[in-house]
This record gives sequence, structure tokens and C-alpha cells, in this order.
Amino acid sequence: MASGTLEQPPKDLEVSRRPRPSRWVWAWTYAGGLSVVVVLLILVGYLAAGAASGEIDRTTLLTASEWSPAHSAYGSLAMIYGSAVVCVVALCLAVPIGWAAAVALSEYVPPRLARPLRLCIELLAAVPSIVYGLIGIMVVRPFVAQVADVTSGDSILAAGIVLAVMITPTVVAVSVDALAAVPDRYREAAFSLGLTRREVVRSAVLPIARPGMRAAVLLGLARALGEAIAVFLIVGRADGHLPTTFGEFLDSLVHPGQTLTTKLAGPEPVLAGTSGPHFAALCTLGIILLGLVATATVWGTYRSSRGGADRGSQPHWSMARLRTQRDRLALWLRISALLLPGALLVGMLAILVTRGSAAFDPSFWFTPATGSVGGGVSEQVLGTLLLVVTTGLIALPLGFGAGILIGVRASTRTARLLQTLTVVVGGTPTILLGLAGFVILSSAMGWGRSWLAGAIVLVPVVVPVIALTTASRAMGMPPELTESALSLGLSRTQLIRSVVVPYAWPATVTGLLLGLARAAGETAPLLFTATVFFGASALPDGIVNSPVQALPTHIFTLSQDSGDPQAITQAWGSAMVLVLITAVLLSMAVVLRNRFEGERWTA
Amino acid sequence: MDSVIAVRELRVRDGDKNLVGPVSFELKQGSTTGLCGPSGAGKSTVLRALVDLLPHGLSRDGEIRVLGRPVAFRKGDADLRAKIVLVPQTPVVFGGSVLDNTLFGLRHVMRAPAEELRARAEQALKETGLWKEVRDRLDSPAQTLSIGQRQRLCLARALALEPTALLLDEPTSALDEQSRDTVEESVTALGGSRTVLLVSHDSAQVERLCDATVRLELPETLRHLAVVP
Repeated sequence: MASGTLEQPPKDLEVSRRPRPSRWVWAWTYAGGLSVVVVLLILVGYLAAGAASGEIDRTTLLTASEWSPAHSAYGSLAMIYGSAVVCVVALCLAVPIGWAAAVALSEYVPPRLARPLRLCIELLAAVPSIVYGLIGIMVVRPFVAQVADVTSGDSILAAGIVLAVMITPTVVAVSVDALAAVPDRYREAAFSLGLTRREVVRSAVLPIARPGMRAAVLLGLARALGEAIAVFLIVGRADGHLPTTFGEFLDSLVHPGQTLTTKLAGPEPVLAGTSGPHFAALCTLGIILLGLVATATVWGTYRSSRGGADRGSQPHWSMARLRTQRDRLALWLRISALLLPGALLVGMLAILVTRGSAAFDPSFWFTPATGSVGGGVSEQVLGTLLLVVTTGLIALPLGFGAGILIGVRASTRTARLLQTLTVVVGGTPTILLGLAGFVILSSAMGWGRSWLAGAIVLVPVVVPVIALTTASRAMGMPPELTESALSLGLSRTQLIRSVVVPYAWPATVTGLLLGLARAAGETAPLLFTATVFFGASALPDGIVNSPVQALPTHIFTLSQDSGDPQAITQAWGSAMVLVLITAVLLSMAVVLRNRFEGERWTA
Repeated sequence: MDSVIAVRELRVRDGDKNLVGPVSFELKQGSTTGLCGPSGAGKSTVLRALVDLLPHGLSRDGEIRVLGRPVAFRKGDADLRAKIVLVPQTPVVFGGSVLDNTLFGLRHVMRAPAEELRARAEQALKETGLWKEVRDRLDSPAQTLSIGQRQRLCLARALALEPTALLLDEPTSALDEQSRDTVEESVTALGGSRTVLLVSHDSAQVERLCDATVRLELPETLRHLAVVP
């Protein structure tokens, strides 16, 4: 029997003294959820207010192609055309290669080899876009100049090629996820009916993975549409070029153009002030861009989460005599599809390592820069770390709260709406975040260029990554855990504290590291808000007018000076340093994920 | 004898469709009652309806009285669940040690010094016959237990709450013969001191363990179908 010191169980229906009421758990999760909504409201509010702050003719904006603030002409058709063509070129190159490589990686390459390859693809997908821009300058631009016989390679085609290189890893990574999510029992069932591997892939695997693979395209498209920096460096930024005939169209490909994002990343937003027709026109461009990117992101995420076979596969009749030969052929085709991304990987690594060899000299990390010609990048490294750490400290509680909220309330409409909003914030072109930060923090609040403004502007980049990884882990929690805990009398808040949080936190840390790896490489949000090229102290001692120097913006400034070989050497060294920093963050995330979330690979 | 739980005209619906019931029964203090019926009649669902853990989209109506008092059908009544504890079919082990698992529920409903909690855990483990097997490894991970031991651990952590009634959902269906016997022994040992509602598809088991039986029939709307629960 129970010893005498034991409290008698309460015989009545009220539990007497429930410890840890932890009502703050809800407050905290709702604060996290609210932060996502607030970011979106600020962004949309600032763009809408800006668009209404000056008289512009919206019809002209959409139908005319002449953009000249000096003559009050605001027509954006040429930019919309530029954005569209750049994205189409990128998708035409990236999608077939990306899909084929994904199938090869998931279905043909042995798992022992596929795992490290997949890791490499994820690393490539996390390489900061400024590095892709640098590669565009050094490799793609001369290539276009030579092939098309034009003096400068700055062109829409070059921008499209660079974007293709940039989004191929994204397409491969998301497609491989979709293929890996196809349960092995489908493959087993198909194989046991005597199908060859090619037939298994075609009839059993692809029909189920197809929605996810299409989603990969939309997510790649969203990334291409919203990218500002890599395009900025090589598209030429020439206004008003709109072809009318097919010949002109072909010609326009190899000549400079302008896109929506490059217009916003240029000097104009800073010159336009904070009201008037010029500012209104720029804000309208922002709204168009946000709308396009949000549509692609939401559509893509919705498709991938729907999963499953949306239609049955057609029977593929094949002649028994040729089946083995065809299977052989398919094998070689698929494996060779891996060669291009593989060559890309090796090529990029080779370029980075040879040109950025400065980064392997420790003194490069620990000495300050001397202008654009020498020294190291110690101040830039410190500045980047300061920004990233501050961002992480702000984003961690918010993203964790939002993720838990979405995870435990997964079935309700509000949670699904919040999840969609989080996806939208995560896909927002970062140049828009930078402009909002510039108008609100730097101008309206008078902070000028401030490290804190930069860190705050990066928060919306990190929060969605944390929130979505946390939420998907919490949603994947076995329902028996919830049921058992509740049937032992735990309240909802106690369930969150004692079951959901311990179960989900490894995913949160993974999300934090992934988010920070992305934030560390962001250039566009910092350009107007936080960084200067030189003259800032390594660690600032205030908030107002306390800029820092950061690696991505440092590379951005150096690479615009592409005529100077010494500046370029410095840029490559800095790029290598930046890649190493993101690679470290990413590898930590991957190690954590593999350890806590079990083996994701199911081949 | 007092009735601990009295259920009248309990139904579970999916929108307009009646999935389970109506069913009425009474659990006497200290009795072990078996709940049987054909597959798909909703035996497990009745247990979940009693403690408001129905799957999303299902709703219940009817009347439930616990200790003579009507229970309001409000959402998510954690206090009620600490009194009427459901032990699910497949054993669920949370992260942490054997002791952590035994005290998982109690820690959340009662504030007490660590020694008191430990004493209560020991008591509960003794009641299920698990004590002599785990006394030396209370602090080792609960994942190291065998499946039969896990099932009794789930029973023990329910008993640690000193509940008014226990709802056991096919407690032996996931077990081999030997583990089944030890779990049955534990349930028998509860006889007289605890009120138990036991769901089982094994009529011999119900006969062995129970002193009363409630039969659940397929509701009329579903008679023509064989429904997988």
C-alpha cells in the first residue's frame, strides 16, 4: 500500500494543484505566429502606401516600356519582359537537367553514393547568390560575348544562364525529396510483377512523385523571379529594350536588359525619396514582383504537400524483345544526366578554390582590408557574424513559436493560413525586405545605416525556415504520443511543453542553422540598410548610424569593379570565405538532421 | 455499490452519420467490465468518446455521469482524463528513463517532492508486477524494455495517477502469449480495488478477467457494411 506520507488522490473531479500552468506557452506561440503576419502586413502596407503616395498612370506603367524618371515616364513593360525571358531561359535549361538528375540520383545511383551526392546538391543550393553572380561575371559573360560576338557579355541570356545554374540544385533537391517520399512498397510491387527498372520508374514511381516534381519547378521559378543580386551584376541594366519582331527578340537576348528586381536593387529607390510619382512607380513594381513570387511559392508548396498520384499512369506497352536493351539505354541516359550538375559542381568548386585561394591563408581571415586592393577580410567576417548572430537571437524564439503553433494546430484553418503566410514570407524577394527596412528603419526611424537594422531585416529570411522545419517535425509526430499524453491528464500547454517541444527542437536547431546559412549570404537586404564598403569599425558601439562591413556586400562592391584584377582577386577570396562559412553552418544542420530525424533516404 | 461511470445513450457521429451506439452501461466501483462486439462496432471509439479523444471530425452526444455527476461535453478536459485514464492498444513510450515514463502523467497533475513521486512510481510499478524487473534500471532509457514490459509500463503510469477508472483498449493484442499472461495477471490483481473497462475481441479473455460484460452492436445504419475501425 502507499506509504502514509503520500497525498491521498483527490476523489473529486477537480485536480487539486496542477503544477506549471504554463499559460505563457500560448502567449509565446501566438507571438511567433503574429510576427509572421506582422512582417507581411508591414511589407504589403509599405508597398501599398508607397504606391498610393504619388500620381502615376497605372495603365501606362503596365503597357509602356519607356522608363525615365527625368521625363516622368514610368513604363515597366520592358522590365516585365526582361524578368519573364530571364526566367524562361533559366527554366528551359534547369528543369530538364534537374529532373533527369533527380531521377538518376534517387532511382539509379546506389544509396551509398547517392547520399553524399545529395549533400553536395544541398550545399550547391545554399551557395550565396552573390557567388553565382561572381561566376556569371567571370565565366558566363565572356562565354556569351564570344559565342554571340558582342562586345560585352552583359545580357539577358547571361542572366538566364546564371539563374539556371543557380536554380538547378533547388530543382534537383526538391525533386529528389518528392521521389524519396514514394514508399518503397510501390517499387517492390512493380518489380515483383517483372517490370524493368525503367518501367518501374515510369509506371510506379513518377506518377506519385509528379506533383512534387512540378512543385520543384515552381519553387525554382520563385527563386529565379526574386533574385536580384546575381542578375544585377550581369544583365546590363539597360532600360527600355522591348523587341517587336522575332529577329529583334533573338537580338535582345544577347544585349543588356533590365528586370523588375534589378531596377529595385539599383540606385533609384534611394534617389526617389519616400513619396511622389517615382517612389510610387517603384513600389508598384514591388507589388507586381511580390504578387508573382508569392503566387509561384504558394502554388508550388501546395502542390508538393498534396503529393500522391493525381492520375493513374498510362500503361506503357513495350516489346518483350527490346525491354532489356531499353532498360540499359535508360540507365546510361539517366546516369549521364547526372554529369552536367556534377560537372557544374566540380567546375564551381575548382573555380572557387583556385581563384579564391587567398581564403586558405589564415592571415586573410584575420587582417583588415586595405581599400579594394589588398589586406584581408577580418572586419567583414566579424560584421557578418555579428549580423547573423543577432538575427539568430531574434528569429529563434519567433520561428520556434510560430512553428509549434502551426504544428499543434495543424488541422485548423487558421494554422493552415498561417502556414501559407509563412511560406509567402519565406519566398519574399529579399530586395523588397531591404527596401522596406531602408524606408522604415533607416529613413523614418532615423537609424541611417545600422547593424541592427540589417539584423532585423534578415529576421524575416530566417523565421520562416525555422517555423516550417519545426512545424513539419511537430506535424509528423506520431499521433499515439499525443493520445497517450492527453489520456494521462496533461493539459494542452503541458502537452506542448513536455511532448511537442522535446520532440521538435532538433528540427528547430536544423532550421536555425539552415536559415542562418541563407542569411549569411544575403546581399540585397543589407545594401541600403546596414553595410558600408569601408570605414566602419569592426564592431559598432551604438545603433544609429553604426554600419558594419559584411562579406556579401563586400563581394558585391568589389565585383562591380571587374576591370581591376586585384579587386577581383579580393572578391574571389571573400567569396570562398563566405562559402566556407555557409558550408559549416549547413553541414552542422545536415549532421543534426540525420542524427535526430532518422534516415531520410529510402531507396 | 456505487456506480463510478454511468453512460446513457452515448453516440458517436460523423456529421449526420451515426457511427457508434447508442450504448448505455454502468461501471460499478471495483468491478472489471468487458466491452465486446463485432469489428467496426466502435469499441475503441467508445473509450475515446468517454475521455474526449475522438479523432478529428467526430462528435459525441448522450450523457456521461462520473461519480454521480454529469460531465459537461466540453473540448479537451484534461482534469477528467487524469481521473479516467485510457491505456491505448499499442504501448507508447516517451523519451526518457523508465522512472520518467512512470511519472509522466503524475508530474503534470500533482506538485509533490521528488521522494513522494518516486514512492508513488514504485507503488504503481509493484501493482503491475514490473517492479522486480526494472528496480535496478529505473534511470535507464525506457526504450530498452521489451514490448510486454512496455505495455505494463503504460499501465503503471496510468495507475500512478491513482485514477477513478481505467480504460484498457485491447491491452494484450500487441503481445505474445507470455507477455499476455503477465499483463492479464496485472489486470486481475487490480480487481476489487480499481474500476476497469476492458475492450477485447477475445471472448475467452473477457470471461477470464471480467465480472460484467457490455455488448456493443453495429449501429443500424452500418449493419450492411463491414467497417474497419
